[in-house]
Amino acid sequence: MAETKVKSHNDDKPKPRVRPIVRLGIFLVSHSFLVSVVCCTSGVLALFLLPVLAKNTYISENALMPGSASPMLSNQHVLDGNRLVKDLTNSNLKSSETGIGSHKIIAQYMLDLGAEVSFHKFHPQMNQFHPLHFFSSPDSGKIQENYSCSSYGINTVGIIRAPRGDGKEAIVLVTPYNALKSGFGEALSLGIAYSVFSLLTQVTWLAKDIIWLVADSQFGEYAAVAAWLREYQTPKFSSSSTLNAEMCPDINNLFEIKVHSVAGSKFSNSFRRAGTMAAALVLKVRDQSEQFEDTISIYAEASNGQMPNLDLINVVNYLAVHRQGLRVNVEKLRSLLNSSWLKSLGEFFESLAKVAKRLNPKCKFGIPATEYVEGTATLASSLYYQALGVPTGPHGAFRDYQVDAITLEISPKFSLDKVWRNDILLRGGRLIEGVIRSVNNLLEKFHQSFFLYLLTSPSKFVSVGVYMIAFALLIAPLPMVAASLYVDANSSSNCSKGDSSTPPAITDADEHGITIRSWRWLNSAKLVFIVHLWGAIVSLLPYFICQIPDCSPTTSFVIWVLLSILSLLILNTVLASPLACVKASQVKEWALVKSVTISSVFIGLGLMSVINFATAEFGALLLVPMCLLAQPLKLDVRAGTLRSFCRIICNLVLGHIAFPPAAFFLLKGMLDGFGSANVGDFWMWVESLWAWNSATYLFIGMVQLPCWVLCVSILFHSC
Amino acid sequence: MEKLKKKFGSFSFWNWVIASIIFRLILIYFPKNLNLPSRPEVSTPLTSFRRLAEGYWLKQSSMSPYAGQPNHLLYSLVSVIGDVVSAMLIRATGQNLQLAYFRTLDSLDLVKQIEGSEVHSSGDVAALIYLCNPFTIVACVGLSTSPIENMAVILCLYGACSRLIPLAAFGWVIATHLSLYPAILIIPVHHFFQPPRKLFLQRHQQKGVLNQSKLPPGFSWRPIIHFAFWALVWSVYVLVLCGISLKQFGGLWEMFKSTYGFILTVEDLSPNIGVLWYFFAEVFEFFRNFFLIVFHVNILFIILPLAIRLHHRPCYLAFVYVAVCSMLKSYPSVGDSALYSGLLGWFVNELSDMQFSLFLFCGYVGVSLLSPVMHNLWIWRGTGNANFYFATATVYACLQIVLVVEGVSAMLNHDRKLRSLIAGKPQDAKS
Repeated sequence: MAETKVKSHNDDKPKPRVRPIVRLGIFLVSHSFLVSVVCCTSGVLALFLLPVLAKNTYISENALMPGSASPMLSNQHVLDGNRLVKDLTNSNLKSSETGIGSHKIIAQYMLDLGAEVSFHKFHPQMNQFHPLHFFSSPDSGKIQENYSCSSYGINTVGIIRAPRGDGKEAIVLVTPYNALKSGFGEALSLGIAYSVFSLLTQVTWLAKDIIWLVADSQFGEYAAVAAWLREYQTPKFSSSSTLNAEMCPDINNLFEIKVHSVAGSKFSNSFRRAGTMAAALVLKVRDQSEQFEDTISIYAEASNGQMPNLDLINVVNYLAVHRQGLRVNVEKLRSLLNSSWLKSLGEFFESLAKVAKRLNPKCKFGIPATEYVEGTATLASSLYYQALGVPTGPHGAFRDYQVDAITLEISPKFSLDKVWRNDILLRGGRLIEGVIRSVNNLLEKFHQSFFLYLLTSPSKFVSVGVYMIAFALLIAPLPMVAASLYVDANSSSNCSKGDSSTPPAITDADEHGITIRSWRWLNSAKLVFIVHLWGAIVSLLPYFICQIPDCSPTTSFVIWVLLSILSLLILNTVLASPLACVKASQVKEWALVKSVTISSVFIGLGLMSVINFATAEFGALLLVPMCLLAQPLKLDVRAGTLRSFCRIICNLVLGHIAFPPAAFFLLKGMLDGFGSANVGDFWMWVESLWAWNSATYLFIGMVQLPCWVLCVSILFHSC
Repeated sequence: MEKLKKKFGSFSFWNWVIASIIFRLILIYFPKNLNLPSRPEVSTPLTSFRRLAEGYWLKQSSMSPYAGQPNHLLYSLVSVIGDVVSAMLIRATGQNLQLAYFRTLDSLDLVKQIEGSEVHSSGDVAALIYLCNPFTIVACVGLSTSPIENMAVILCLYGACSRLIPLAAFGWVIATHLSLYPAILIIPVHHFFQPPRKLFLQRHQQKGVLNQSKLPPGFSWRPIIHFAFWALVWSVYVLVLCGISLKQFGGLWEMFKSTYGFILTVEDLSPNIGVLWYFFAEVFEFFRNFFLIVFHVNILFIILPLAIRLHHRPCYLAFVYVAVCSMLKSYPSVGDSALYSGLLGWFVNELSDMQFSLFLFCGYVGVSLLSPVMHNLWIWRGTGNANFYFATATVYACLQIVLVVEGVSAMLNHDRKLRSLIAGKPQDAKS
């Protein structure tokens, strides 16, 4: 005891022992301005480097073996398909008032092949707002009462049982078909699917059941597929809706189908199921096209930026390019293709690559400028559709049940002669056959290749490990600046009170300082919490607003804005004021508020990057500069230097841009021109976001909007 | 003025209590939207209400309640009331502690130094932290049984703090029976019954006068024997009750095997926010026993040094033990962190110097948001894998480590400061 006492006397002024990691942290924090500038610029630069860093795709799962077997689809099957196309177009000419006729034809064709056929009746579900849908499992949907007979759709489902399978797995082939007004393309897609289907009834190698879903697309392709999937995966045990449906006389006509005595063929009234789905292909043929060669477009983005396994895209790409000679296409942002600055950037990277190659011949870096521009356009559209969080086709419904699915859209070079039609049927059919044969080989579900990637061309991708670097560099300054502000705010209030480590210097004032010093941020945290709570309320408001009948988008938007402002005022008076007045006089309070704001933005962006990377990337590009630059305008005006003047300009510009509606109108104006902009557009856009349960909506409401409000309140802080 | 302020303070305290109760009831009213009982963060195999229900059902249909999923809990569930009772107990204990703190300062003649500063009523603060903590709310609404376990622990500490030895023994026995880990709380409870000596000694050594008569009595066996007696009585009581209710299902041995054995051997490897499930899913079967011993001895290793270093602050020692247990236990849930963050409120005055408080706060917020997202990515969307979820579990464990380390060092600094104040005073008097 005595020894320790002596020791403590000797160490009156103990050297601050600091661990190396803490020292590194202190170094970074003290140079936070430089670090943040370097990190942000390199983050943006890394984003533009992504097309250069993209890798070639490869087939990761060995079991797939695409193209190892020669296609078995012969001209006989093509003729079968052609027959169906002809019948359908004829029936369309004959009776187009109801689609029952064509459904019957399709079912009859399926039955003749010996497949199990059933009809699935569904009612289009109203899109509803589920704020927490993202975090929960898919549910069986609300059972709505009193359906009318007029609004129902009929999916025709044919199932081939695999001769070698145990019936536990299945592959799904989907062809959207609108019986009421079908174009020639839809009939052709049915023809392709039918020719493949007729082949698959004969082959011996099939190990997985094949489900052919002819989705009734009169209420939209997605709704039909989603309704069928919901019924397939989460069966409802309520008789009310089925009873209602069977009271309608039209549907009962459907069941009067002659069943031929083909072995195995079976028509059933009930819902038929096969095993778990290994993969799903949605096949579409475009009606008009101005392409010079047969191309096939791949759409893969599902809700919230989820992508199917890369192997599925690889297989399609490999078979289409190397076996069937089709050109494969992924969506591009057309407006970027002609931009000159992108071209010059590409040329700059190209010359950089040449220099690098001269220095080190082994270096495989750099791509031609034209390829760079194309890659950037593809990457931009890939990011855009992922960020929107709205699926780009009916394949999106499958992803909700963890089934990998893509949409293939064949756009043939257009001519009407029969040879050409047979050619498309043959090549399309062989492509589908090859993909199904590959997936048929799978022993497990797709897991080998990437789920998190961005495409820069059909055969090039950027994996999560690469694009995360760009994002991480962009948001890395946030915690550092938060820490440096926090340290500053704390030390500035304590500097007058002397060093606390020396016992003789301790005064009453120091004792006073202790109690509040390190927990002073709690007050700012409360403010930030209240603003985020307000953000949550604002995001919930549309749920109530859209219950108001007969409301135009513009009035809804105005109501929304007014209610939001009102709720902010109420929250401010109820929760914030009693305690805010106590500590209002604190030194550098805005710094603490900014520090906590930045921390919350960091958490929000980090969280969003896991949920939907693209949204987080766009959000970071907007929010990070705004958060880092925010400083009370009064201080800057008082300083009056050139630097502070620049900062005022930046702050004002960012303060306008980062407001979500403003950002939306700016983007819309850039894409479509400013003439058509309307206040109601934002409301419609928001409505579409929450109808698809997009997490982007939650991000805007609960991260971006509160952050903007906090930054503006910092700008107008009175200090 | 003082009175008015106090009145206002207590008024807002009750307001907050009522608000938190109403909030819970509202959340309980919307159970389906949140689906909390199925979240791995809330319900572990030990605290899941579903398993409790399953066990009860098995027993009703005259099978062993342990026959299905191993199930530890056979008691009814009143989590909201449990939470409120715990909060009240925490408040009472906090007020006791504050009184004791002032008494200590008084005996050290340090009251003057504190007078000017802002002293929070630590009991109220702790109770409010416990009640309004999202973790507590989630554990309560999520039909987890951890509110009851927490209540037993708090009951034990309350009894020890107010020297109600039978109550302390009862709390200890029940808490141990429910989740085994609180067994190590016997050390802080034991410390409670020993009067503090260190600061007195220091004070008097400083003065150079060691007045034996003023010294409080030293180590005494009486309360310990008293406690041991009551602990024995209660545990016999509990075991007899268990024995009666489990008579036809293999008796007590079966219960021990499938409760304590289940906790110690980490049989259920379903993911939770701890780190053990991942490790034992990976480890080879023949190393399993070795690592089981290593992981459990970890807790035991920490006990002794902490007991020596913090023996003058038994309540804080209890907090540290609870935190360490929730870090290293086999099936942790957010209810455990709710418990220790509530206990942390007792020391709001002492820990006001704690470093990294903002960092820790943001870390907890971040992890508690990230963890469900990672789980969703792994289980529902299938784009992630177990490593994603485990990453958040490791971050959570690291945060707890930082909290414990910083908390202990802040407390020691505070004691050092008190000591230096004692040392500094004579000089002040001279000058």
